[in-house]
Amino acid sequence: MNLRYMAKELYYQRRRTAISAFGLSIGIALLILLNALSLAYRQAAHIPLKEIGADITVQRAGDVPEELAGAVFPCSAVTIRKEEIKKIGDLPGIKGMGKALLLWVFDPNRAWIVLGIDHENSVGPAVLRYSVTEGRFLEDGKPEALVEVAYAKQFGIKASDTISISGRDFPVVGLVDASRSTKIAVANVYLPLKEAEGLAIMSKQLQSVSPYASDDVNLLFIKADQDKISSIASSMKMILGDRATVATPDSFLKLLGSLFALSDKFTLAASLIAIVVAVLIAFKTMAGNIAERAKEIGILKAVGWTNRNVIFQLMGESVVQCFLAGVLGFFIALVAAYGLSFMSVSMPIPWEMSPTPHFLPGGGDQIFKTLQLPVAVPWTLAIFAILLSVVIGGVTGGLLGRHISRIKPSEVLRHD
Amino acid sequence: MINSFILSGMGLRKSYGTLEVVKGVSLAVDPGEFVCLVGKSGCGKTTILSLLSGLEKPTQGKVTLGGKEITEASEDELALFRRENVGFIFQSFNLIPTLSAWENVALPLFPVKIPKDQQRQRAMEMLGKMELDHRTEHLPSALSGGEKQRVAIARALVNHPKIIFADEPTGNLDSATGEAIMAILHRLHAEDGVAILMVTHEVELAKTADRLVRMKDGEIAA
Repeated sequence: MNLRYMAKELYYQRRRTAISAFGLSIGIALLILLNALSLAYRQAAHIPLKEIGADITVQRAGDVPEELAGAVFPCSAVTIRKEEIKKIGDLPGIKGMGKALLLWVFDPNRAWIVLGIDHENSVGPAVLRYSVTEGRFLEDGKPEALVEVAYAKQFGIKASDTISISGRDFPVVGLVDASRSTKIAVANVYLPLKEAEGLAIMSKQLQSVSPYASDDVNLLFIKADQDKISSIASSMKMILGDRATVATPDSFLKLLGSLFALSDKFTLAASLIAIVVAVLIAFKTMAGNIAERAKEIGILKAVGWTNRNVIFQLMGESVVQCFLAGVLGFFIALVAAYGLSFMSVSMPIPWEMSPTPHFLPGGGDQIFKTLQLPVAVPWTLAIFAILLSVVIGGVTGGLLGRHISRIKPSEVLRHD
Repeated sequence: MINSFILSGMGLRKSYGTLEVVKGVSLAVDPGEFVCLVGKSGCGKTTILSLLSGLEKPTQGKVTLGGKEITEASEDELALFRRENVGFIFQSFNLIPTLSAWENVALPLFPVKIPKDQQRQRAMEMLGKMELDHRTEHLPSALSGGEKQRVAIARALVNHPKIIFADEPTGNLDSATGEAIMAILHRLHAEDGVAILMVTHEVELAKTADRLVRMKDGEIAA
């Protein structure tokens, strides 16, 4: 293979080179984009849970309280016993666990959604410490409260006020804007877990529906090895029974409802189609280009180039062209991915995870988490696509070179 | 005696389907001999040239080039044989349009494992011989017809061939340029002792060769 000849051929026939490369680059760009989109949907499915520092959330449905008075559990989140928590904590692949206690508190003059949080734990709703807009976050061992900023505004509550929940007073030490964070595990008031436990233990209504003891909770947030999430989810269902709701990135992915999100097979099939189209484009344009060069091949053979010399020369040109196409395809995909990264998707949050009582105004509405699709082209995908185009170049150039090298020089060099 | 020939074709026949274009031709060229094959258009001159140079295989007959019988050689063996023993000059120059003059001259050397600078040096020498030192970096599109043919002659010489096959080398040139090209071929023949088998339909040009062979309807005319 003569590099000088190759470079000159590609340079002086740049229109031909550009057309071949552009055709293939579209196929390569399509391949990269399809996979980048699929990956983006998968990453998007992690976002709602990631925002509360978890990979899995767990709760268990129970019975509806007979009377909505004092502190009760939402029927979608009843007691998870400490023995069960221990079993879950012992499952292989679990890297961390956060606990929370979600209560609806119906006081005579006001209803509260209260979330008791394990405020020192980095897994779970304690991530709200980064969403405090006024005052400070909860401190250890103190009976104090954080109030959600919209709720505080609605009822005129200020940081430094004292609020009374189920007859117990809690100084408000700060306001928190949960809307900046997740739609999962949001409440009107956030208390230290121990204080929320106290409210639960004292509530006869709650105890009659779902007996509760100290160190039990009704929400668990799990941090786990990524490759073990599915098996952990299955094990937790076995521990907690059929009424358990285990939310994982996969369950959110299903809720997204996109073909990209729903099916690996779709992405695989679409990618295969993109590759086949890319190969056909490369083959067709290069076949046309090589056919135009029949006379040139005849000259090469007449002056002593063997079939092997011709094949390697054409293969080299084809590989370089396809490499350029791969790089161009990567850049096209990069630009398109940047454009697509402004696209928003609405992630439906399962009703079980909505903290708002369904009988309150707006409580039964489907809630959504709107997020920008994190479309990006991973380096591994880019390198794979470029290598693939090089392989396409090698195969195409080899096949076409083999075909054209069989021509007889005497047939194409007869004087005109 | 046959062994003293640089080139010999014995009883050559070539048919395309039912059409026989070469009908039992025998022809030999001595080392350093300048032979012209003359005949009207379509009489089979170019086909004979293709058969004798190994560009094409005869339907029947035997070709011996440089002491080696090439009739049964494979395509790649023939290519290697041409690379080492044969030079070609065509009517329509047949230069590669994307390569400069020196690169076109070095084309037969590209697949040979010799250093690039030596390839260039040899090409430059040949272009110097053709008085084209000032045109070495030009593309064929920037050269005149005569210059293109001189580049083609340089290419034919670059591998120091035993014989040059020239197919209507002046056919695409005006008479003055054609004469200049013929003068170069005669000079090479005289100075380097290279054998030349030239095909032409111009009898006047052919008369300047050592021997003139007439062809008619696929046969050597008496």
